[in-house]
Amino acid sequence: MKAVLHVIEYDFRNFFRYRWFIIGLIAMNLADLFISAVVFTQMTSIVNFNYFRFFAPGLAVVGLFASAFMIGREINMEVRREIHHYMLSLPMTRTELAVGRVLAGGLRGMLYMTPLLITNFIVLRFPTLPQLLLILLALLLLAIGISGVSISIAVSTTSFEKFVTARGVVYYMMFFCSSVFYPLSVIQVLASKGLWPLVVFAQMNPLTNGSDMIRSFLLDPNKYVFSPLMLLNVAVFSGIFAFLATFAYAKILQRH
Amino acid sequence: MGLRKLWLVIERDLRMFIQYKFMLIMRGIWFVSQVALFGLVVNNMVQEAAAKVGISYFHFYVAGVTIITLYSTSMFIGYDIFEEAEHGVFEYLLTLPVSRRELVLGRSIGGGLRSFIYVGPLLVVVLFVLGVSNPLYLLVAIASLFLFAFGVAGMSITIAVGMKSGDKYDILIGVLDALIVRLSTTMYPKFYMQQATPAYATVADFNPLTYASDLFRWGTGVEGALQFSPLVGVLGLFIFFFAFTFVGVVFYERRLEGGGWQ
Repeated sequence: MKAVLHVIEYDFRNFFRYRWFIIGLIAMNLADLFISAVVFTQMTSIVNFNYFRFFAPGLAVVGLFASAFMIGREINMEVRREIHHYMLSLPMTRTELAVGRVLAGGLRGMLYMTPLLITNFIVLRFPTLPQLLLILLALLLLAIGISGVSISIAVSTTSFEKFVTARGVVYYMMFFCSSVFYPLSVIQVLASKGLWPLVVFAQMNPLTNGSDMIRSFLLDPNKYVFSPLMLLNVAVFSGIFAFLATFAYAKILQRH
Repeated sequence: MGLRKLWLVIERDLRMFIQYKFMLIMRGIWFVSQVALFGLVVNNMVQEAAAKVGISYFHFYVAGVTIITLYSTSMFIGYDIFEEAEHGVFEYLLTLPVSRRELVLGRSIGGGLRSFIYVGPLLVVVLFVLGVSNPLYLLVAIASLFLFAFGVAGMSITIAVGMKSGDKYDILIGVLDALIVRLSTTMYPKFYMQQATPAYATVADFNPLTYASDLFRWGTGVEGALQFSPLVGVLGLFIFFFAFTFVGVVFYERRLEGGGWQ
């Protein structure tokens, strides 16, 4: 456990080295909320839909995703610059190292997302204590899963460009095929145009389940109904990718 | 000023652009996902609002995303300048039998031209989707997009030569991108920006992305009537092009002397 904590500490120190990157990310997230969402709210007010309130929980998930994904960029850089040789020489097992990195990626995502979540509480409403704990648990699982996806991609290629391209594909598929930006009911219209695989993907997407779960606690509970299956979906996603990333990180690094 | 030498500089930047094949693929994926996912879904969400101002949101958005793609690929030239400074290529460029002015002007033109070449095939697809109502309007719109692309490349060069850290440039471009795109009419009609916050609409009035996207929509017939006269739009883009191309040229030229990039 001590070794895992050391790895987490190392990654947190690295995270704060990217303060300019974080400032840029915050600016983009705030621009999304206070410019785009405000204008779209005007456009959707005709059908009595408050887009700003709908999008605010989605923004917390967007921030969580982007920051948890950053760990992959660092690990890919370490692989390219062969810093992983130093990491492998540390007095800890491969598994401890790998678990530490996956957890660190997730925890960094949680840290970045916290101000966005607090903004949600201020703008929408404060949840009850059990609701808050459920939200934090779901987001932590989601962040660990995202960190796992990012690490799995990062160790699969030594090319930064390939990593960036793969990251782009994952980003766009997971964001645009989810209820982060728009309600699931609007996506379901695509099924009538023969795009039902996208609808199925959107329904199973952990970002959909994560953001809709927050909405069920912070918005009208009659419109957004909480289901334990949402938490199960996020937990399964997290379990699969945390395991995959740990395995891939521990095994693939030894080959390089 | 030798045109042949100028062309050699432009040609070099065009060749360098192909090196970014993965970045270009990613921009392509971004474009497709924006159109085929975001555009289609949001169209369902805001179709009443779009109908109220007499447009199809999907068509409106497709035109806007084309302009965003043109903008972001024109900004790539700034990354090249940082790469060259970091890898000592500047010194090599200065030894070439090309004047400083030819070098700088060639880079600005090359930066705009290569983004146009990249966007060209996308533009054909977009025109197929949107259709063309008046070929003369379209020609005026395409010509103004050239001014826009060269102006953005000049802006990118101006920012790149004004900064010494590649990281800070990256972040500044990210923040600028977030603000300049969102405070323009690329994603939503000005009518709703005005309703949301008049300040947003005021900023959009002076935003080159607004001029470029509205002129493009006017050229393709997506928007029957412009919020401003086409002459004002073309003039706005000309001022943008002139200011940044020549300011960028002067900045870059001065920075080259005495190792100012180091």
